[in-house]
This record gives sequence, structure tokens and C-alpha cells, in this order.
Amino acid sequence: MIVVLLILHGLLAVGLLGAITHQALSVLPLASAKGQRTFIDRFRGVNAPAYATPIVVLFVITAIGGALLYPQYRIDVRPALEDMQNAAANGVFEIKEHLIAIGLGLLPAYWYFWQPPLTADASARRALTWLLAFFVWWGFIVGHVLNNIRGLLP
Amino acid sequence: MKGPRLKIFSIVFGVIYVAAFYFDLALFRYYPAAREFHWTRTDGIGVVILWYGWIATAALASAAIAFAVPRKMAERLWPGWAWIIPTAVVVVTLIYERRWFV
Repeated sequence: MIVVLLILHGLLAVGLLGAITHQALSVLPLASAKGQRTFIDRFRGVNAPAYATPIVVLFVITAIGGALLYPQYRIDVRPALEDMQNAAANGVFEIKEHLIAIGLGLLPAYWYFWQPPLTADASARRALTWLLAFFVWWGFIVGHVLNNIRGLLP
Repeated sequence: MKGPRLKIFSIVFGVIYVAAFYFDLALFRYYPAAREFHWTRTDGIGVVILWYGWIATAALASAAIAFAVPRKMAERLWPGWAWIIPTAVVVVTLIYERRWFV
């Protein structure tokens, strides 16, 4: 059961990572070359406001999945990391749990600033999107590294 | 909770979460080995998870503050605070958590 939940959590995180990355790049004030649409242009050229509600839903569901997995981590993984004297691995996970919690708290404002018609608060909208993107990327990378840490470390 | 109050919630949530974490103000505690929730510290039943309780503390306190702030005041609030304060909270958290890497 825990393996199914872990895979589901990972798959939801992939969806969230893709969505928030599309949206975060779409709000970057980049100028594109005339007449040429690069891969980055096409990646950024999404209907960004339409991503806001799915991102909120995915963030909440993925965080709930992580919360359900957390007891297993606390009982099995963390003591193993402590036995390996790998404080840094525990540290990056501690930071992950704080960022996800702070991210949950940010979602209402993030959603508010993305509601159409988009007001002039573009800088707040951009910063909140980038903050959430940072949290999601941190959570994704740390989650995968810790999940595979026995294979990664000599 | 509607409109500008959502900004208030997000602005104070991170601050209260970090305070709950730093001052051990978890609303409740979960003991995964015993599969039990407790309001207070309970020894002898294994490791404890405080994270759920910190989030609950921050969510309840932030919701209360967001409802208590007058709507006009919430509307007048500069939008920049909605990201500057959470960013500051993240920076403080990262500085505090350096303890794992020294």
C-alpha cells in the first residue's frame, strides 16, 4: 500500500512540477526573437491563468499524499539516515517539509492574484508563482534523492 | 473567506508557522509508532510528528486573523507584502536550518 501511495505521490508531483514550470516561465518578461518561435517560447506560450486552479488542487493533493507517507519516513527512513550520520539528508527533508507547509499557506494569495480579470499586481503574481515553483522543485528533487539515497550513496 | 482576506491569510500563515515550529506550538502531536494523536507531549510511545500540528496551528490562527482584519484594511494592503513577507519567512527558515549542514 505504501509503495502504491509513494508512486501516486510521485506521479502527482510530476504533474504539479510541469504545470508550475509552464506557468512560472510564462510570467518571465522575456523578449523572443522576431518571426522565430523557439522551444522556450512554445513552452512559455500557455494560457497561464488556466493553470492556477489545477496547480492549487495538485499542490494540496500532493501535500496530502506526502503527509500520509510521512509517518513511514519518520519511523523507517529518518532513523536509518541518522545511523548513517547523514545529517544533511535529514536537513534537506526538514527544509522540504517547511517549504511545503509555507506553500500551502501561500496558495490562497496565489490563487487570488491569478483570478481573471488579471489586475495590475503582475509583480506579486509573478513572485508568488516563482516562490511556489521553487518549493515544488525543492520538494521534487529532495523527495527523489531521499527515495533513492541508498543507491546514490557509496 | 473571500478576496482580499486571502492575502491576509497567506501573509500571516508563514510567520505563524515558523513561530509554531520555533516555539513548539503544535496544536496536536502524532505518534506514528502508536498511531495516536495527542494534544500534549506524551513520553514512551515512540517518535513524534509535530508537522501536522504546526500546520493546523498556522491555519487556524491565520484564518482567525484574516477574518478579524476589516475588509477595507485588507483591500488597501499593498500587494507586495503577499510575497515579500513569505519570502522573508523562507530566508529565515533556511538560515535556521543551516544547523543540519555544519
